[in-house]
Amino acid sequence: MSILSTTHLTKQYGKEPNVVNALNDVNISIEEGEFVAIIGTSGSGKSTLLHMLGGLDRPTSGSVRVDHFELGKLSDEDLTVFRRQRIGFIFQNYNLVPILNVYENITMPIRLDGKKPDRKYIQDILALLGLEKKIYNMPNTLSGGQQQRVAIARALASKPAIILADEPTGNLDSRTSEEVIGLLKVTSKKYGQTIVMITHNPEIAEQAGRCIRIEDGRVYE
Amino acid sequence: MMREQTSMTGTLTKRSMKKSKGRNLVAVLAVVMTTMMFTTLFTLAQSMGKNLTQMYLHQSGTSAHATCKDVTDEQYEQIAEHPDVTESGKSIVVGLAENPDLAGRQVEIRYGNDIYARQDFAYPTAGEMPQREDEIALDTLTLERLGIACKLGQQVTLEWRQDIRSEEKTSSTFTLCGFWEGNLSVYASMAWVSEGFALEACKGAGEAADGQVCGLRMMGISFDDTKDIDGKTQKVLADCGCPELDFQTNYAYSDEMRHSIFMENLPMYVGMALVFLAGYLIIFNVFQISVASDIQFYGKLKTLGMTGKQIRKMILGQGSLLSLLGIPAGLVLGYLLGIVLMPVLMSLPDTDAVISANPVIFIGSALFAFMTVMISCLLPARLAGKVSPIEALRYTDVDSGIRRKDKKSEKGASLTGMAWSNLWRNRKRTILVILSLTLGLVLMSFFYAKNASFDMEKYLLELAAADYQIDDATNERVGGYDPNSRTISDGLIRDISALEGLEGTGRLYSREVSMPLSIQACENYQEFYTEEELENYASFDPTFPKWKENFDHVMNGGEAIHTVYGADGMILEAVAGKDYILAGEYDAERFAGGDYVLAIGPSLEAPEEVLPTYSVGEKIQIENREFTVMAVLNPLQPMVEGSHPVFDVPLVMPAKVFTELWPGSNLRKFYFDVDDGNMENAAELLQAYQQTESADMNIVSRKTMEEQYEAETRSKAVMGYSVSIVIALVGILNYINSMVTAIISRKKEFAMIQSVGMTKRQLRRMLAFEGLYYVVLTLLIAYILSTVAVGVIVRALVAGGYATFQFTLMPLVGCTPVLILLAFVIPYICFRKLEKQSVVERLRTAE
Repeated sequence: MSILSTTHLTKQYGKEPNVVNALNDVNISIEEGEFVAIIGTSGSGKSTLLHMLGGLDRPTSGSVRVDHFELGKLSDEDLTVFRRQRIGFIFQNYNLVPILNVYENITMPIRLDGKKPDRKYIQDILALLGLEKKIYNMPNTLSGGQQQRVAIARALASKPAIILADEPTGNLDSRTSEEVIGLLKVTSKKYGQTIVMITHNPEIAEQAGRCIRIEDGRVYE
Repeated sequence: MMREQTSMTGTLTKRSMKKSKGRNLVAVLAVVMTTMMFTTLFTLAQSMGKNLTQMYLHQSGTSAHATCKDVTDEQYEQIAEHPDVTESGKSIVVGLAENPDLAGRQVEIRYGNDIYARQDFAYPTAGEMPQREDEIALDTLTLERLGIACKLGQQVTLEWRQDIRSEEKTSSTFTLCGFWEGNLSVYASMAWVSEGFALEACKGAGEAADGQVCGLRMMGISFDDTKDIDGKTQKVLADCGCPELDFQTNYAYSDEMRHSIFMENLPMYVGMALVFLAGYLIIFNVFQISVASDIQFYGKLKTLGMTGKQIRKMILGQGSLLSLLGIPAGLVLGYLLGIVLMPVLMSLPDTDAVISANPVIFIGSALFAFMTVMISCLLPARLAGKVSPIEALRYTDVDSGIRRKDKKSEKGASLTGMAWSNLWRNRKRTILVILSLTLGLVLMSFFYAKNASFDMEKYLLELAAADYQIDDATNERVGGYDPNSRTISDGLIRDISALEGLEGTGRLYSREVSMPLSIQACENYQEFYTEEELENYASFDPTFPKWKENFDHVMNGGEAIHTVYGADGMILEAVAGKDYILAGEYDAERFAGGDYVLAIGPSLEAPEEVLPTYSVGEKIQIENREFTVMAVLNPLQPMVEGSHPVFDVPLVMPAKVFTELWPGSNLRKFYFDVDDGNMENAAELLQAYQQTESADMNIVSRKTMEEQYEAETRSKAVMGYSVSIVIALVGILNYINSMVTAIISRKKEFAMIQSVGMTKRQLRRMLAFEGLYYVVLTLLIAYILSTVAVGVIVRALVAGGYATFQFTLMPLVGCTPVLILLAFVIPYICFRKLEKQSVVERLRTAE
């Protein structure tokens, strides 16, 4: 059984007469442990799809299934809880909380869940990502690459089954990009995670196991 | 590693607080002001209640919940041991002290146990209660009268009569073993003797002989609380098998008194509601603005897995933290303000204003303030909690509801046009700020106009018919006026008549006569008191049930108490003055002939068709003499003020006729005018008489009335002004906060506009226009609402009172330049701060 799937997923923005079909009857299925890249021009609906997969936004019609959860059937509160337990997000602009330091940022989703972070595991991640010496730094004292590594650490911290990344390397130079993707691949292999990543960069897309192309809200594999 | 005990929500709450220092300052200030006003109003309400209760208790003479004037020792024991009775005081009356020095002041020689003495506010503060038979404890008033120094061990000789029907006086000498501060508002002074002396005096009798006072056992009992004292007393008496005992419940604890205290405090409660409203308007606005500008932050948190509930908790947590900072300061400031205002507010005679320091005040005010903060944060918290992670990224701080589809204008961007559009980018906030500002302004105008309308002349006419008025000591006695009381002695009248510069006098006698009403009068009553009128009456008068009972009794042919006044001179002229005649015509000459009476109706604004009393022209028999009703009058306070039965029919006849009907009557009131030069002499004469002869004589002088008038207006003015000024300040704070945040949050936008060619000067002018629009709109609304508030509400409120309506918007006119100045200064200062960063820097700042 696939870990991630959509059926007839459609998302429209705006009201008549200015309706925009961001996603149009999208049917995809992703298996556990896959590394999938989503590519397409800007405005093609990549981000919308990713947001749908992660339960950040609700579909106009159709459904999204993660594991055996039908996301459309969860309430907003449940969806949030589901997200912080099952899904790790990585954004292009990192989305670090400026008032929390690195360690706090990383452990935030876990602490919000009322759980104690697994220190050993987090130390492993920090070591893997080369952040051991930065744990008390505030986000604005870090470079872009470092900030994205913190975001990756945060996405991994709750041991999610799925990692959704929205152009994680969009703001980074090519050397750092390489490094970040490398790290993502290593950690996902190590912890058996599924990765869905949006990218503009064909070189990075090539490293993925599978490519999904989106144009005008429709999927072409 | 980090300490991880605190919850993540807690950490985020605290850290995000640190980020918004400006907002916190404004919010804390708002909380301080809100709490301060709550505390002040609470302190005043509590203190007023406490002082009034104290005054009523003093007037009733005891703090016991119920008292009985005649019990046996056996009954006393039984009742005292009843489990419901928490306190029981016992007293044995010996007699009245009749030393010539004490004339005019009732001094009761009694034995009392400690509880009884305490209940009667007569427990020695120096020394102790008498133990030995030759000991006595007195109050300082009595000691002064007797000319004895307030020092323990002094010899005191009192004269009294064992048999009050004989003239034979007994003289007893005691040693002073205790004394306390006397209080004139208590009807009689106590002279405590030992139980031994009391028993000896009444020769061991278990109760007083018929018609005697010596040996009378009195008892005062108290219960756990003051609820349903009547019912509790009945139960105790029934349980003890003596239901026939005549226990009087203390009227100071009655619902009427509670009602009267509540009415006194009503303005305070209204003030609290207004403070709550003002507090809500600002705290809500502050949080709404802060949440709106941080909405992307909340969206991010939600994306990262914070639930709506956790976000709401975070916002409410910030509200709590701000309360924690603001409330204690507000409590202290408010209490201090209360201490300053209390003496101004209390204008009660013979009572030192007591400031209540009841913890309830602080707990109550803190709770009220906290509640205000929480309620104010509720909507912003919901807004933040509801934010959808995706939308947060697109959120701009404008109303989402009504969005203009297009704007048909080709004039291009004018500064004034842009400023006007900017004003309405957030409709709700603009309206909120304008409301908040307007509220304070309108309130100020309202209070000012109300005070300005107070009319001294009208007030004095209603309350003082003469330069001086003296009342008999029993005029206001709870049990009713005693026609046998001789406070206003012939000697005093002689002295007054001999005063130089005397310009006029007036006499007033009064007496109660019971007789049935005429059929015509009954019809008048029934016609006047329609269902509607009765309901109306019941709604404002707590004595209504009693009144209705008597009313029904009289309507069914029972006897009605007629208060018959005998008046002459200036009081007659005043009462029969043109403005006071409701029906008929007053002819002084014919009235003086002695065949006529005047009937006094209810207090009415305008004459009505039917009046609830005798009709003009009706014949009445009083003491077998026939009178004709000449006219019906509105009651004049200086005449009718004093105790009278709950339901009575007042009539006025000439004083001469009154003394013919009841020879040897005593004066109830006496009125006189003196020329200005001799005012002092008159005052001295009356004060001397009051001090030496009759401490309870009530003196009303036009001058003290004037002073009272001033105290009354001042206290109400101070209250009104302090509430409205604080609310206006809150409004201004709200305005400043909104302006400042509106400018700072558009930092980037301004940079953008500047980058495409708007000059600094233009930008500054645009901002000034925005501020000006705010103020002009506020002033427009404030002027309209104030005109309504003053022109309609104040006019209606002061009608019929001691006021002459005067239209004024003075405070508003005074505030106008201040607000306009603010409209220019705030944008200017904010802009100066913005300017420190270059356009490029501002354009680049991401978050």
